[in-house]
Amino acid sequence: MGPRPLPAVYALILLVAVVLILPPGDAAAQTPKRGGVLRIADREAPNLDPHLAVSFLTHSWSSMVYSQLVRFAYGPEQKHSADFTIVPDLAEKWKYESPTTVVFTLRKGVKFHNKPPVNGREVTADDVKYSVERFMAKSGFRSRLEPVQAIDVVDRHTVRMTLKEPYAPLLNHLANAAYVVILPREVEDKLKDFNRPEAMIGSGPFMVKSYQKGVQIAFERNPDYFVKGLPYLDGVVIEITPDSTARLALLRSGKVDLGHMWGYLVPEEAKSLKQTNPEMVMAPTLTIGQGMIYMRTDQPPFNDIRVRRAIALSIDRKAWNESLFYGEGCTDAGPVPCALKEWKLDASQIDAAKAKYLVGYDPAEAKRLLAEAGHRNGLTVPMFHWPGYAPPWRTFYDLAGDNLGKIGVNVEFKPEEYGKYISTTYLGKYEKMAMGPITPFTEVDDWLFGAFYPEQPNNRSHVADAELGKMLLAQRREMDPKKRLALVHDIQRYLADKAYYVYMPHSPQYITHAPRVKGMKFHDGFGLGPRLMFTWLDQ
Amino acid sequence: MKRYILHRLALAVPTLVLVSVIVFSIMRLMPGDVVIRMVEGHAYAPTVAALRAELGLDRPAYVQYFEWVGGILLRGDFGSSYWTRQPIWDEFISRFPVTLGLAALTILSSVVIGVVVGIVSASRQDSAADYIGRIVAILALSIPYFGLAVLVVVLPSIYFKWTPVYTYVPFSTDPLQNLKILIVPALVFGVTRAGPIMRIMRSALLDILRQDYIRTAWSKGLPERAIVLRHALKNAMIPVVSLIGLQMPLYIGGSVIIEAIFRLPGVGLFFFDALMRMDYPVVQSVNLIVATMVVGLNLAIDLSYAFLDPRIRYR
Repeated sequence: MGPRPLPAVYALILLVAVVLILPPGDAAAQTPKRGGVLRIADREAPNLDPHLAVSFLTHSWSSMVYSQLVRFAYGPEQKHSADFTIVPDLAEKWKYESPTTVVFTLRKGVKFHNKPPVNGREVTADDVKYSVERFMAKSGFRSRLEPVQAIDVVDRHTVRMTLKEPYAPLLNHLANAAYVVILPREVEDKLKDFNRPEAMIGSGPFMVKSYQKGVQIAFERNPDYFVKGLPYLDGVVIEITPDSTARLALLRSGKVDLGHMWGYLVPEEAKSLKQTNPEMVMAPTLTIGQGMIYMRTDQPPFNDIRVRRAIALSIDRKAWNESLFYGEGCTDAGPVPCALKEWKLDASQIDAAKAKYLVGYDPAEAKRLLAEAGHRNGLTVPMFHWPGYAPPWRTFYDLAGDNLGKIGVNVEFKPEEYGKYISTTYLGKYEKMAMGPITPFTEVDDWLFGAFYPEQPNNRSHVADAELGKMLLAQRREMDPKKRLALVHDIQRYLADKAYYVYMPHSPQYITHAPRVKGMKFHDGFGLGPRLMFTWLDQ
Repeated sequence: MKRYILHRLALAVPTLVLVSVIVFSIMRLMPGDVVIRMVEGHAYAPTVAALRAELGLDRPAYVQYFEWVGGILLRGDFGSSYWTRQPIWDEFISRFPVTLGLAALTILSSVVIGVVVGIVSASRQDSAADYIGRIVAILALSIPYFGLAVLVVVLPSIYFKWTPVYTYVPFSTDPLQNLKILIVPALVFGVTRAGPIMRIMRSALLDILRQDYIRTAWSKGLPERAIVLRHALKNAMIPVVSLIGLQMPLYIGGSVIIEAIFRLPGVGLFFFDALMRMDYPVVQSVNLIVATMVVGLNLAIDLSYAFLDPRIRYR
């Protein structure tokens, strides 16, 4: 036997082997490149004024053009798709002088797009005051800033926001691209309104290049964007395509890079696309969202907690997840959605005897509870819903009906036309029981206070629980993040066995794009612009 | 003649008034609330009340009606969309050429296909060509046009990585590209509309070909082409023309789905979006504009009879 090679020699051989095995240029390929135009197929925004619309389409477009006071972490800054860490945008820093006073210091030298009538002037504190006040006067989302009492200009680059009471959700709402974007006042004075392409003048990463109604909107890179080197893309074109089949066909045929502004495809579409276009990049992602059965908890039979618990135990979430979502969904979907990781208290961390009403499946126990509540022979309840939600929602209704049927709850399906559904059932105006999804919110307060506090439009189950009410108010008034988190966890523990809502498993979305698209990280905030400013094309 | 025209115009007025009342009422009788539809899950009471006041929906319905009609009559103002806040007339005018182009090409393709197959089928009755023609006609009648449209969009994208869905270019900018964009949707729509034309064409032509004057033409030794095309076709076309006239509303109605699938920014899509969003002023005004056009077109057709058939007199 000869002398044994030294460990260093082994290491060297291993290193050489690794270098040889690694694909050449891998590191270079990940270095962002400037240039190129990203193409997207999606529907048309109903209105261009970001403060007048509640449509995500409008806000996706406007987020390309406008900046905010603060924004969420996107792209390389984000830890995961629902990371709602607040980072500076126009405000380089902010400070709470007291629980009800926050002072924002603006970056100096940030310019609006160089277009008339603004002509590239600097963004100042007056613009912030004007925009916040306009939002509070006009927006359908105005209730989000209801606790704001006043906004004052301290100097050219400083604004002070005074609140009626401590309000923890404030910064999250300010960072949401669907809410307060900063507009230049003279546009409203000189161009009459913001609802026209030439009036879309902001300080965001992209500028409107052209807009052909019903055909396409083209954005170009803002050369004076205040974050140096960004965006990487020369432009973004949104091909207006109302029909989802046509959007998928455009993606398949390579005419667009994304078949949805956020890259969404439901699992069925994604699996079919993968067969014809294996080159497509797909990432199954649990997005913020929720589907639930909601009940009139203020009326019989659902004012009886035993009946609600029986409903909760009847849903076979595991089988549902396996059969509809290829096992990639989330079965612990409420009250805080799965994707909202920072706030979510998993069912596994809650007392099992209580948590079973969130995630458990026990039809025998459900039948026993129904019998105990006086429904030994079962009961018949209506299920109001809108059948038009994208697939697989129609299957959700059938599955829920089937699951409930097995414990003796006979469901009478009550499909409604959208106009009626959205103005009645969606807002809690229905009889006995209904089922459907809810708007994806970025702030945990909306999922708790919004869904459980009396008189809130999204309190669809008509919950009026005095003890819970105190906890809900306390969490939104608690300014210490750690203490607030503890309160939010307490609320989830408290809610676990109340079965005010019965949550359905949540489907993943397949975030899908053409292989040349790089650096596009999915984010659950409503900002398309900040998402795309980190995106680049490998071409 | 002048009196007749004035008489017809006078008759058109109550028709249009009735149309305006019906569309205005139907929109308001639809279940749901446009204001809540606009704010969806954010329907806090102050928001809803403010928006309702801003859109003028807090006033009595009759006030809203007279304001709408008054705007049209006094200022030629058809109102603005609740959602886009854009003037309806401007939007209609910018979109009308798309729908007109699509309808014209659809009519052309359905007539060409229907008439040609109908002629071949009738003049070769009970031959292989006739059977094929009839099978094709039944197929065209049975396939819904929107189903065919989806297949035409989806299948080539799967098998050839190609799809006939383009970015719309106006005729005035590039006529050839415009034709390239419109031809596939027009053919898809046209083929399904050609079925009934072919069936009527065939039966009418068979009927005419059995008439005495055609037998006389045969006995005179005229060639088949001259008999069918010159002597029989003209008379057989009368029911076909009537059918095309009857199908006119279908060309406009059908454009809604075709425009959505092939991403054509026409009136159909404008109307459909407005209907889905309960955009009252748009649905009302587009309906009224189209109704006025139909009334005007009918009047023009009635007047044109005098030129087509001098035996018709107006009183």
